[in-house]
Amino acid sequence: MNACVASFAVSCESGGRKGASTLQREQELNRFFAGIEKRALRIAEISIRDRDEALDLVQDAMIQLARKYAKRELDEWTPLFYRILQNKVRDWHRRQAVRGRVMVWFRRSGSDDSDYDAVAAAPDPMGRTPDEQLQSQEAMQSLEIALGELPARQREAFMLRTFEGLDVAGTATAMRCSEGSVKTHYSRAVHSLRETLGEHWQ
Amino acid sequence: MNERKDTAADQAFAEKAKQLFDESVENLDGETRSRLNRGRQAALEQLAAAKPVWVQWAPAAGVAAAAVFAVVLWTGNQPVDELTPEATASDFEILLTEDSFEMLEDLEFYSWIDLDEEPEETPEDEDVVG
Repeated sequence: MNACVASFAVSCESGGRKGASTLQREQELNRFFAGIEKRALRIAEISIRDRDEALDLVQDAMIQLARKYAKRELDEWTPLFYRILQNKVRDWHRRQAVRGRVMVWFRRSGSDDSDYDAVAAAPDPMGRTPDEQLQSQEAMQSLEIALGELPARQREAFMLRTFEGLDVAGTATAMRCSEGSVKTHYSRAVHSLRETLGEHWQ
Repeated sequence: MNERKDTAADQAFAEKAKQLFDESVENLDGETRSRLNRGRQAALEQLAAAKPVWVQWAPAAGVAAAAVFAVVLWTGNQPVDELTPEATASDFEILLTEDSFEMLEDLEFYSWIDLDEEPEETPEDEDVVG
């Protein structure tokens, strides 16, 4: 009887320790998400040029990280989170491409709209009128458009390295490629952006 | 020399891009921040839902233990009919004797007689008769 009570007490104690560690992990995850979510949103928004969709992608990425990778070390979370987010961005682009092909097929029977400009038609991600935009905001908008014209891998490398501040190794983990590839993508991205935006942008 | 100049220009470009990006993050509106907060809470709920196995089964185990305890208490307080096993044993005794099967017709009567005769076998009674 005493042995039974003792084993129950031990099990309760270990359960209590587990509960405390879960609570601690929850607090750490909360801090991590709070610190990263706004930048992640802007990165996703620049990639897909739609804030509502970007919010959904960021939330999905947070849920997936909490479900599958919460037990990993803290320093692994940032690259893992961006790997999940980048996968979701890629999936979103694939879905949009399929949708676009279907829409093009339907549009053929309608009007011949050859002057369609996707960049001009894209909504302002900040949701502000041109009058309200300051010089820096215009510069950011130019940068976003230029980033949108980059190949996806170059854009990912530039945003993770420059905006999120990941090192080469972390970016390679997030992008699932070698560190050499990250350096190449990043270097090409910077040169393309500088060329597109021109000297006056700086 | 040109390479070094290019690297410095690249770095300056990246720094400006980072500064603009940070400003745009700081300028996010309240509604967007609120939606991010809700998304974060939804993600944390997923973590809270993934509790240890023993915690998940604790309520069910508690209910089961309480049910077993209640059943034990209930059956423990039931009055036991002590006559029933004795009667059954005596029935077998009668059935196993080699007497005529006619007595089976009055099985209850013979059981009653058997019970009635038992007190007479006590030594005290024998002394009185003798």
